[in-house]
Amino acid sequence: MLVELWNEYWPLLSAMLVVLIAIPTLGLYMTYIERKVAAAMQDRIGPNRVGPLGLLQAVADGLKIFLKEQVVPAHVDKWIYLTAPAIGVVTSMLAFAVVPFGPVSPEGPHTGFRFIIAPGVEIGLVFIFAVSSLSAYAIILGGWASNNKYSLYGAIRSCAQFISYEIPLGMSVLGVFAITGSMNLEKIVYQQSSFLEWNIWWQPLAALIFFTSALAESNRLPFDLSECEQELVGGFHTEYSGIKFVLFFLAEYTHVVTISFLTVLLFFGGWHLPGLTDPADPTAMGTALRLLVLLAKVGVVVFFIMMLRWTLPRFRFDQLMGLAWKGFIPLSLFNLLGVMIVISLDLSPYWMTLFSLIVFLVAGALNVSQLNNRLRSPSSPTIRTRAEGAY
Amino acid sequence: MAEYFPILIYFVAALGVALFSAIAPHLIAPRKPTKIKDMPYESGMDPKGDARQPLDVRFYLIAILFLIFDVELLYLYPWAVSIQGEDGLPRELRPLVLGVMLVLLITLAIAYLVARRKGVFDWRRR
Repeated sequence: MLVELWNEYWPLLSAMLVVLIAIPTLGLYMTYIERKVAAAMQDRIGPNRVGPLGLLQAVADGLKIFLKEQVVPAHVDKWIYLTAPAIGVVTSMLAFAVVPFGPVSPEGPHTGFRFIIAPGVEIGLVFIFAVSSLSAYAIILGGWASNNKYSLYGAIRSCAQFISYEIPLGMSVLGVFAITGSMNLEKIVYQQSSFLEWNIWWQPLAALIFFTSALAESNRLPFDLSECEQELVGGFHTEYSGIKFVLFFLAEYTHVVTISFLTVLLFFGGWHLPGLTDPADPTAMGTALRLLVLLAKVGVVVFFIMMLRWTLPRFRFDQLMGLAWKGFIPLSLFNLLGVMIVISLDLSPYWMTLFSLIVFLVAGALNVSQLNNRLRSPSSPTIRTRAEGAY
Repeated sequence: MAEYFPILIYFVAALGVALFSAIAPHLIAPRKPTKIKDMPYESGMDPKGDARQPLDVRFYLIAILFLIFDVELLYLYPWAVSIQGEDGLPRELRPLVLGVMLVLLITLAIAYLVARRKGVFDWRRR
């Protein structure tokens, strides 16, 4: 009896254990890596006191957080205030349930150790969108319960940003679904086994929109209007400290890891790298190689996100909403139209590439001409020349 | 539904981890509330009035538009999944479905253009 139960559930339990241990550890170490990357980009040294190369900094931080005073201010709605960070963590972790974090085959076998918690979930990506959009509740409840003006404004801004970018995010993956005929991430990766079948070649515009919107969803720096220090102190987490603050950040880093995985799995061929990995190789060596390829690709994306943080300045709020509603939504609608036409006429998928590029170039040209018009009209409030008193 | 069962177990485990890490520090950490610590932090100024004030109407407009677009997205997902391949829609139905989808998209595009002309997406007044 017990042996049967064990045989049935150990693949699930082991996969769960790996994720539940890896995510918080990764969260702590990503703060360290982020500080190191920031330091390197700004010509500083970064954390180097605790342990060799400062590697134990994350451990020290974790210990300090656990022993810190737990401040629950008198003016907050106590229960909502305490639940909000937990909601954030649970939803962002739950989104990872259907993400393959190593090579898996859509047909199984699902008996041994597997690199996914819940294999064979057909709604795959929609599940991730559904669950991770629940984390808007964490932000808005936290901001509302804090009873602080900065918190409330941060939460409202963040919520508006979150729902605005949800639409281009959901629309940009439709092309991938149409190509694969499935929303299951395992099948989507399986379909991209040769280099020229990676979705990035067919849906370059969708990849760009997806990555940028996902970045906005995770409140990372070019889009972190909800917590911009100069305007709103800490935004929705102004009143949070100690472990509750860290839970919010754990949720954010989990989100970053998830979107890095999704970008790689959806558009960059997952664990496939032609010339190095063989999708049909069932040996342990082949599996390890594919795992390494996947993790390396994800590492590159995470590093790219960190570089973006120190490269791009923060958006203004009207620019942020404008990018979603005036830029990404029409662009992804046109992209979808292209996918529709190409697929219904049974054309080669490379027509989608052409269509994407044309849409992208036309949109860019329109934008430039609009900007030129605005620069020419002297009454424009957005851009003024130095002679008019701007500096 | 069997493939969703692991998600349930994982949900319970994740909830356990989150609650543990949220509650455990309360048991071991010190707690010394003072009057100043209990005040809202508003850059050192004494807070005036309640924080929960009426919001700009644009936020509500964005929320309504989000509902429209998101429901429309829900219609597009089943279409995108079943439009291609052998186990998708029957071939003779595909032109009809394409026409229906195009009508949906055009309706949506008109709604979008109306909202845009009304200035819903302009956050700064010109």
